[in-house]
Amino acid sequence: MTKITYKVTSEHPFPADAAAAAASLAAYEALDDVTKARVDQMVDWVMKNCLWQFHSRTWDRKRQNEGILGIAAKLLAGEPFTPQTPEDRCYWVDSVTLQRAYQATCPWLAEMSKEDIKALMKELHARIDYLTVTGSLNEELTDKHY
Amino acid sequence: MPYHEFDCSKCLPERKKHAVTKGTGDNLATALPLGYLNTIPGSISERGCAYCGAKHVIGTPMKDVIHMSHGPVGCTYDTWQTKRYISDNNNFQLKYTFATDVREKHIVFGAEGLLKQNIIEAFKACPDIKRMTIYQTCATALIGDDINAVAAEVMEEMPDVDIFTCNSPGFGGPSQSGGHHKINIAWINDKVGTVEPEITSDYVINYVGEYNIQGDQEVMLDYFTRMGIQVLSTFTGNGTYDGLRAMHRAHLNVLECARSAEYICNELRVRYGIPRLDIDGFGFEPLSQSLRKIGMFFGIEDRAEAIIAEETARWKPELDWYKERLKGKKVCLWPGGSKLWHWAHVIEEEMGVKVVSVYTKFGHQGDMEKGIARCGEDALAIDDPNELEGLEALERLQPDIIFTGKRPGEVAKKMRVPYLNAHAYHNGPYKGFEGWVRFARDIYNGIYSPMHQLSGLDISKDEIPTDRGFVTQRMLSDAHLPEEIAKSESLRRYTGKDDIIADLRKKNPPYFTPIIKAEAAE
Repeated sequence: MTKITYKVTSEHPFPADAAAAAASLAAYEALDDVTKARVDQMVDWVMKNCLWQFHSRTWDRKRQNEGILGIAAKLLAGEPFTPQTPEDRCYWVDSVTLQRAYQATCPWLAEMSKEDIKALMKELHARIDYLTVTGSLNEELTDKHY
Repeated sequence: MPYHEFDCSKCLPERKKHAVTKGTGDNLATALPLGYLNTIPGSISERGCAYCGAKHVIGTPMKDVIHMSHGPVGCTYDTWQTKRYISDNNNFQLKYTFATDVREKHIVFGAEGLLKQNIIEAFKACPDIKRMTIYQTCATALIGDDINAVAAEVMEEMPDVDIFTCNSPGFGGPSQSGGHHKINIAWINDKVGTVEPEITSDYVINYVGEYNIQGDQEVMLDYFTRMGIQVLSTFTGNGTYDGLRAMHRAHLNVLECARSAEYICNELRVRYGIPRLDIDGFGFEPLSQSLRKIGMFFGIEDRAEAIIAEETARWKPELDWYKERLKGKKVCLWPGGSKLWHWAHVIEEEMGVKVVSVYTKFGHQGDMEKGIARCGEDALAIDDPNELEGLEALERLQPDIIFTGKRPGEVAKKMRVPYLNAHAYHNGPYKGFEGWVRFARDIYNGIYSPMHQLSGLDISKDEIPTDRGFVTQRMLSDAHLPEEIAKSESLRRYTGKDDIIADLRKKNPPYFTPIIKAEAAE
């Protein structure tokens, strides 16, 4: 009797840009323990309570992460932000939500300087980008069609 | 990668990449199963087809429409009534289903004439209904029937009717999700922008990816209306055909089920500049956050806060009564798609249960990313499981209850594992503050039903105890509770009505006068 076998045509080589993913991971691993713990805590809140970071495609996720985390960094640093367009306003809504959550759950933020908060938010942005874009194992991210 | 290989699927080695266990320290870059791929030959999948995804999931909840399947009767029968997407027009879309009854002779000679005859007959049989959707099926797609041409011909002959054609035959994708995509894009291409709505509020939204399962949409509509927000259209539960043609005039798209409806939101953003706000309608905290965000977008957050305060005060003590009794119970979260991520975190937080497994039948890797991100450690995540894998997982995980559809649910019952219907609900709605308590109540009733003890006895061989009565739910659930919790006067069981939707439909909520109209009146 002939055994029928089914061959997988793709070995699913993801993430798509392994070098970028490795560089991003190395940068995160190089952070000091306190910063890493703080970034992890902030990432955990986003992952459990937000949906904006999970749009379907790489370009869309980058746009979302930049839009929302960019405004949130300003708000947490005490800088004003006035949305000018409906899209800005939509980002701002999620940014304010993030700002309130972090101020309520991360007491150490109150003791940080503006510059330190901005630097921390930059690391958070890099980590979210890694988890949802460069290091993501989601093969549909680079699909040209929606 | 922490793949999980099922013993029953060792003969299908490709299946190994479709299941992972989220271990300590795992994240989305280390643990994610494959997804949205063709089912592996030999694996008996539980998926639906692309026709089902377009018609049954997205199209049919539209309430004032004749939903006509162009194909054999079986296609329409198997996509009829199994999901309780009710409507406030006496459930027209649930009561009737239409098919052109294509047979062998039509496959040989063509079925366009048959389709035209059926369309005209259906409109004559339902004189109050002037809207129709025609769904292509595998058989009529393969013989090349031009449903668009037939629809155009009828619309010319009957100018008071409007017909939408959905070309999503069953083979049009690896699962029903392919059909979601096709009908989203067809609707925005063919119908959005063809009706101009009356705007009655300063705050106008489309409520997208919401299918009014047992009244979910009507619960949320009540909150939005109390905030003074006009819901221009709901895509598609309890939605009207013409309301959905006017989606282009909303200020904001509020999206629930991203898997089934993000496509139309993304297109509305690109074509009409309407932003997309993803929300969760389940659970006290996520729902509160969602209402706040919508309020914030329009500058009316105080109205959202008023609703949150009122609803939380009314229902939180009842949610907490169940939480105390559900703590630590193991659950398998096995719905079809979006509820795996809507519920994964919040049921642990607000009901105290432990999610030991998540699965999706037809979801994409993006759905699994959300699910894995939100569930706790040690959860087993499975993509497109077959029945044997489901059985093996139940034996290994020993859950106290599973949330799934009725087909896998009935299998679980045979293994004496209680199940709740995550698709059509048991006693919904489950959205909203009260709805979330109803969900907790149903979980409690499922886990502590005395039936499960009785079902473990085999009357052909077991000794049947006759010297004692049944153990009640309350005796089971309160056996190990501290007395102050068991007898707490601040906590109470669900006190709502069986049918909460009837009252909502009678409500005349306080509408806020639109600024536009107020200024015109001055």
